[in-house]
Amino acid sequence: MSMISTETNVAHRLRKIFERTLPFIVALFCVILSMLPFGLVSGIIIAPAFALMAVFYWALYRPDLMPPYAVFFTGLYQDLLSGGPLGLWSFIYLCAYGMIVSQRLFFIGKAFLAIWFAFGIVAILVNLIMWGIVSLYYANVMSLWPIIGQTALSFALYPFMGKFFGWVQRRFLSVV
Amino acid sequence: MSDRFGQVERITLPFRMISYRLSMVLMIGLSCALLLLGRAEAYVFDEAREKVQEATAPILELLSTPVGMMRQWFSGMDDFLNVYEENRRLRDENARLLEWQAVALELQQTNERLEALLNVQAGPGIGYITARVIGDSGGPFVHAFIVNAGEVDRAAKGQAVIDTQGLVGHVVAVGEHSSRVLLISDLNSRVPIVFEDSYYKAVMVGDNSPLPLIEFLGEDDVLTPGKRVVTSGHGGLLPPGLPVGIVVRDESGLLRVDPYSEESRVDHVRLLEFEFPNDVDEEGAEETDGEQVGLLNSDATAGAQ
Repeated sequence: MSMISTETNVAHRLRKIFERTLPFIVALFCVILSMLPFGLVSGIIIAPAFALMAVFYWALYRPDLMPPYAVFFTGLYQDLLSGGPLGLWSFIYLCAYGMIVSQRLFFIGKAFLAIWFAFGIVAILVNLIMWGIVSLYYANVMSLWPIIGQTALSFALYPFMGKFFGWVQRRFLSVV
Repeated sequence: MSDRFGQVERITLPFRMISYRLSMVLMIGLSCALLLLGRAEAYVFDEAREKVQEATAPILELLSTPVGMMRQWFSGMDDFLNVYEENRRLRDENARLLEWQAVALELQQTNERLEALLNVQAGPGIGYITARVIGDSGGPFVHAFIVNAGEVDRAAKGQAVIDTQGLVGHVVAVGEHSSRVLLISDLNSRVPIVFEDSYYKAVMVGDNSPLPLIEFLGEDDVLTPGKRVVTSGHGGLLPPGLPVGIVVRDESGLLRVDPYSEESRVDHVRLLEFEFPNDVDEEGAEETDGEQVGLLNSDATAGAQ
């Protein structure tokens, strides 16, 4: 009797841990996704900011499962993997996260179009911040075209990734 | 068992209790600190980067395979649609290349004869390692590739990386099974170049655009767009004579290089194993010193005898 209860207890806790880390794992997966050489297919070298979409989605729907330090490590992972300035993506993702969390009560329950629009605004803002930081970092005014390209591509792909995150949320996460 | 989890709970609970605002400030502060530290001492994190890259490489390798297949499928479609034009273009090109082949063979013969005549020391041969691009930089401000060749495949830091068209970049970090290649369009890329015919020397500087800038050109050097650009081999990093691109002038009148290799089309690359005469010299110098000493000694002994 007690064996069974211990087992279910363990299973329950494992499930809790799985749920608590899943959004973070999804975000890390998105970082890897954005590193894939899609340029080979599309003929454009700019990768969509998949991880930004993940941070946006989880900040909006489950900020309890995507705390600031998870956002930080998502960014840090991308910084380490991409070979760019360390701290850049973590800062960018934290900015996006802060923006969404502060406004999330307004967006919860809104139609998808409003959410998509909000993602567009956040993407534009954080990309501008990134442009500013990178320009300062290299002491060189960067061309705006790469970030315009990345923002547009990310905006265009958000509905698909949003669908994917929604599926993950419904399939694997229990409702709070 | 449940006790252990209880302990974990007890440890994580106060951690989770830290207010959202405080952890936000902490994390943003940490990011800024990393940015500043990375700006000042970039090499501090080299090992961490290598570890993360090495750990992710197998996943990238796995996931990039279907991407590669997709690419082949797309380019196959492209080929199919342009098969008529492509055929005609190739016929023309073939006719032209056959003429060049005759010229090249003749030149090779002359060259061999002259080299034999002058007893020229041929440069060290270049070996190569073929690798597949399994990842790119994933951001708008970094231009780098991750390729699936590492230390075990004899990849090494500083090796030039080319594709079938021309120079792609050079290896900046090597893990056991993967390496990072800094592309010529990256902000940190500096490639010593030389121009065809004129032999003017300059440096090709990446500026995040598809067409790297030409800088440090001599004041009196006049360049005309359309000239071929090859690596000069100065600075002892890249082998000389690798095709890079052609000179173009942009709208603002700046001279740039239009690279032969198209970043977005690169899927397989070659890492060049090139031993610099410098490197050889250092080892060779010691040997010759030894020989000379030996000679002197033998001379001395000969003299004594």
